[in-house]
Amino acid sequence: MSTLQTTTLQGDAAAAPKQAVNSSRGGIMRRQLPEMLVGLGLLAAPFILPVVGMSPDLLTRILIWGLFGLGFDLLFGYTGLLSFGQAAFYGTGGFVTAYLLTSGVVSNLLLALLIGTVMASIAGLAIGYLTLRRTGIYFAMSTLAFGEMFYFLENSSFKEYTGGENGIAGVPPPELSLGFVNIHISSGWPMYWFVAIFFFVGYLIARRIVRSPFGTVLKAIRGNPKRATALGHSIQSYKLTVFVVASAYAGLAGGLLGVFQSYMPPDAFALDTSAQLVIQTVMGGAGTLLGPLLGATIWLYLYEGLQQLGDIGAYWKLILGIIFVILVTVFRHGVAGGILDFVRHRRARPLAADEEGSDRVAGALDIVPPLSSTQAGSPVLEARGVTKHYGGLKANTDINFTLREGELHGVIGPNGAGKSTFFAMLAGELATTSGKVFFRGKEITGIGVTEVCQLGMSKSYQINQLFEHLTVRENVMIPVLARLRGKYRNDMLRGLHSDELDSQVNAAIGMVDLTRQADTRVSDMSYGEKRRLEIGLALATGANVLLFDEPLAGLGPEERVLVVALLKSVREGRSMVIVEHDMDAMFELAERITVLYEGRKLAEGGPDEIRRNPDVQTAYLGGMDDESA
Amino acid sequence: MDDKKTLGQALQTRVKRRSVLKAGAAGVAGSMLVPGAVRVAMAEDKAPLGAWPAGSQGDSVFVGLTVDLTGPYSAQGAEQKNAYELAAEMINAGDPRIQKISPLLKKGVMGKTIKVGAADSETKPNTAVQAATRFIHDNKALMVAGSTSSAVAIALQKVCNREHTPYFTAISGSTETTGVDCQRYGFRPGYYAYMSCKAIAPVAAKEFGKNRKAAYLTPDYTYGHTTTKSMIEFSEKEGWKTVTNQVHPLGAKDYSSYLINIANTDADVLVVVAYGADAANAIKQAKQFGLLDKMKVLLPYMSGYLEKEIGADLMQGALAVNGFWWTMQDTNPLAKDFVEAYDKKFGAKPRDAALYAYLGLILWADAVERAKSFYPPDVVKALEAGVVRDTPVGKMTFRAEDHQGDASFPIMRGKKPADMKNPDDFFDVIEVVNGKSVLPPVGLPGCKLGGYV
Amino acid sequence: MPSMSLVFSQLFNGLSVGLLLALISTGLTIIYGTLGVINFAHGALFVVGAYAGYTTYALTGSFVLAVAGGSAVALAVGLVMERGLMRQYYSRPPEDQILVTFGIGIVLVEIVRGLYGGVSLSVAPPSWGTGIARIGSLIYPLYRLETLGIAAVTLLLLYFVLYRTSLGLIVRAGIEDSQMVNALGINVKRTFLVVFGIGAMAAGFAGVVNAPIVALTPDMGFRYLVDSFVVVVIGGVGSFPGAVVGGIIAGEILSLTAMINPQYSDVMLFAAMALVLIFRPQGLMGQEGRE
Repeated sequence: MSTLQTTTLQGDAAAAPKQAVNSSRGGIMRRQLPEMLVGLGLLAAPFILPVVGMSPDLLTRILIWGLFGLGFDLLFGYTGLLSFGQAAFYGTGGFVTAYLLTSGVVSNLLLALLIGTVMASIAGLAIGYLTLRRTGIYFAMSTLAFGEMFYFLENSSFKEYTGGENGIAGVPPPELSLGFVNIHISSGWPMYWFVAIFFFVGYLIARRIVRSPFGTVLKAIRGNPKRATALGHSIQSYKLTVFVVASAYAGLAGGLLGVFQSYMPPDAFALDTSAQLVIQTVMGGAGTLLGPLLGATIWLYLYEGLQQLGDIGAYWKLILGIIFVILVTVFRHGVAGGILDFVRHRRARPLAADEEGSDRVAGALDIVPPLSSTQAGSPVLEARGVTKHYGGLKANTDINFTLREGELHGVIGPNGAGKSTFFAMLAGELATTSGKVFFRGKEITGIGVTEVCQLGMSKSYQINQLFEHLTVRENVMIPVLARLRGKYRNDMLRGLHSDELDSQVNAAIGMVDLTRQADTRVSDMSYGEKRRLEIGLALATGANVLLFDEPLAGLGPEERVLVVALLKSVREGRSMVIVEHDMDAMFELAERITVLYEGRKLAEGGPDEIRRNPDVQTAYLGGMDDESA
Repeated sequence: MDDKKTLGQALQTRVKRRSVLKAGAAGVAGSMLVPGAVRVAMAEDKAPLGAWPAGSQGDSVFVGLTVDLTGPYSAQGAEQKNAYELAAEMINAGDPRIQKISPLLKKGVMGKTIKVGAADSETKPNTAVQAATRFIHDNKALMVAGSTSSAVAIALQKVCNREHTPYFTAISGSTETTGVDCQRYGFRPGYYAYMSCKAIAPVAAKEFGKNRKAAYLTPDYTYGHTTTKSMIEFSEKEGWKTVTNQVHPLGAKDYSSYLINIANTDADVLVVVAYGADAANAIKQAKQFGLLDKMKVLLPYMSGYLEKEIGADLMQGALAVNGFWWTMQDTNPLAKDFVEAYDKKFGAKPRDAALYAYLGLILWADAVERAKSFYPPDVVKALEAGVVRDTPVGKMTFRAEDHQGDASFPIMRGKKPADMKNPDDFFDVIEVVNGKSVLPPVGLPGCKLGGYV
Repeated sequence: MPSMSLVFSQLFNGLSVGLLLALISTGLTIIYGTLGVINFAHGALFVVGAYAGYTTYALTGSFVLAVAGGSAVALAVGLVMERGLMRQYYSRPPEDQILVTFGIGIVLVEIVRGLYGGVSLSVAPPSWGTGIARIGSLIYPLYRLETLGIAAVTLLLLYFVLYRTSLGLIVRAGIEDSQMVNALGINVKRTFLVVFGIGAMAAGFAGVVNAPIVALTPDMGFRYLVDSFVVVVIGGVGSFPGAVVGGIIAGEILSLTAMINPQYSDVMLFAAMALVLIFRPQGLMGQEGRE
């Protein structure tokens, strides 16, 4: 284990042997496997599926739901935002397209679809802006509310354009004029091919998004939005963007529905439609992009099929309900999830292995250069008179604190001393009641963790804040992406990997000695490994000032030794503040120690000074007359 | 009638038929095996339309039923399904009762058995459209029928028109179905709000008096608004005053606010335009608010089963218009045939939804016989020919200009519970209105029929 | 300009409608607050209670027994649901819970339709509930007045259970932090079962009590389900007083909008919900930061 100290200083020598045999930048086939499979599936479907009784109409309908679901899966499966109002955009796109085509305002089919999609996206922007201010069930309920309002508007104020409860009929059959030739798309198989092309293109784009830097940040938002924010990403902007993308997919799907049926139904806006989308996605498997398609296949097939059974009459819905409950109960991650789990069990190699990445390891992990030039010893992080009161509770009172360039400064104090609160204010997470915090001369009091991270300071948490469902490598990518791209960049069509990214990621992983576990899912790791990763995330942000909140918390004796050695080894070029309870470790590490007691600064000085300070001893051990210590 | 099938078999059938069709289309070999092959030769010079000629080449023809098996109108939908199945069964058997309506129907239609298949439209236009397209494309349906909601009927009509397949409504109360939204391939055998309002206004004036003040409860959708509009128009001609029009959301459960509004006026007639459970709720709550003590109830377009839902106690004295009431069997032998056949098979008295379903299928089959072909334009032209048939609701035909049927329909008054001779005896039929006399002038509703192909 | 007596009537009516909504919503909010389960079958439980009450009434002729019967059946269904299915879902993400309760809701409604048919059914009000009450210039059905009383008493009873008994204490603690409650050695599983049962029973009880006022149809639950979500959001998720306050507000919104412009009464509820979500997402009485 002594390699730990030297890892940082080694060159790109293979301190990190990559496990994959096909460490493939080759293997375009492998990378694009899902796209090829889907393409093949779409080509084969008309020849295979009719055997089980699926008509071209049914398949086309399934594809439209699948397209609708691609956007929704990006929103829900990948970013974790459950919306019950997608019908609003489906309907908007559909009715705009249908209106343009039937009224003759726009006769070009593709143009009408485009306008419909754009209008749906605008609606998405507006609604997203209003609803994304909240999360979880509040977000879900507000999307439901807005969806219902759209439905109402469609039936009342916009009745003239939408036909009210009659919908818009007579949407002309699609005709593509390519200059020299007019292609009429009749119903049946030609319509299937027409829609299949849209689905395939939509799928390709969605795949690119998912595998782009943008897409990786989305996954982080789903896993741990708080940490994603702290690692330097402006998650609201990402959320809004993916919301608009989902609404665009919905709008296009709606437009295609009207063209396919020659009829745009008012129930496109209904809550039922939004609910059906959610049902199909979850049943099929969220977070797979193809889950909605699979779910639609099952749902619609059963829907039609059950009704054709003999004397079943009105009981078809009862049976559908029962089957549905069974499917949801048995398949924890949807049917697609079930299939993937099955495949995963069979494979020797973890499915999550990322084969596109480069093997290179950067010589040293980048550190964000300080904004202003400083010499060793000048203050980098300062708290002046920082106070935090919660009503009558005085958590921190009038604390002054200075961290100098290159220093490793410790903060200790008994339980209830106010360390966590103080730390949160130092990190810019929490606003002060009074007092200010300065980072290299610039005031950062309460500016928020994202800004602070972009400026070059990062915190490692007492309770692990990791992205549990991602691998170590993916975890470390998140902060590196924030450093390379800033707090927001719309690069959803770019490839994820670059030498720069990969070398940095590998360096960071190497620094915390997790190279062997690089492709392991975090939820499968031991606590000690997770703790190292926690530190690794903070390091990977490239911060030159690091705050460690009880880095040794919960670790056993050997692991403590390792982490202490790790902390020492990363000091080069960085200034650090550590809060700890482990006195031995603290006295070993810190040059300077500040003691907090009952919200105030009790003492400050070198380790020996503090050790011998009678006030400190009293505070920790309690005086004769004190009841609480 | 449907055969019992396993899922696989049911879906296989479609595949088999398709393969047969392929063979038939490609060459004569396949069609040699099926009776009626002669027809194919004659029709070969006409381009295929809808499911024709494919759907007519076997020894059975398929009729698709888009009915509400679930949802707020499931009672009407179930009844329609029953009646369509009954009619098909009777036609296939060559039942003499059918021949009283259409003398041409000897056994089956053009010698072919009618097979019906039902799909649940859930009172949603999109679901209905989905089902209809499936019927036409996959099952080769030559006729689609069934509706309760006008929105669904209009959507179906348009889709079937595009697919050149005759479509018959069962219940559709809105003007637009044979008005601005009329279609060449759409037919409405039943009466609708304009006709019933025109008919009932003078009767109500006679029953309730000339100088009445009416309060309206209008459901907020097209059917509601057009019905109220017609009722206001015709009642005001009789000297009535319209005091208030309370528009409520479709499907509202609680009418208290609207009823309180009405109670605060001096209205003495409550016009309930709502359909189905909405009407039941509204009237029940009106009674609870004591409004029925001082107000009379008028139902210009009553839904079947309402009398059962609210009970004779609340129905007594109310004036209602409906498409059919079973006591019409006392004066009309064809009605007797229908009621008996339905009651025997299903153990209940049919309401107007069942009647229009029954009628629709028979009249279509009759038209096919007259056209001597299933070729859709010919069938449509036969329906437009103005041939009058005897039916359980009197003589009727379809108007060529807008495909509106002119069947007669009853105006009824709710009986006092004490006067009921049996548990189903809810109404006195005051008058049977001659449908033709209350049709709007041609063109008034704004119908412009399209082409045949 | 509506008259004062009309305004007063509508305000009063809104209170009556609102308390019933509050009763339905209490069940929903308790289940969500304690178990974290968004019960999309709540409307179906309302329907099950109503129809069970109808059958009990048909068999016994006693309204009181009908209420007991309806509530008991709803309780039983709730207990079976929890023990049979929901139990496995506590560790699963919320969307799975939504979906399975949604599915169960469909199954329950279709069973009711299969048993009773689609024609709407009537339950007569009890003999002590027929007739009209006159309060000043206000004319109001006696039974509705009584439901106001019944709802108020039931809510008080629920309040008593929640705030004055040890079971209630556990439930409220569980709403705060169910892991902690578990760590304290309390049989959380049994508590969850009881809570789910109470929530279901509240819905069924409301269904029977409401039955004499409306026509019973299998599909009637959906509207109440959506409305009770609005109430819960406005009042504050997991908050019992919130459900009461939210219910009353919702009832008043419905009544007053109906007075002015009836077509908008439904959409006004959603607009109110949207406003609350934008400006005070935890609801009027909910705690900040709860999700």
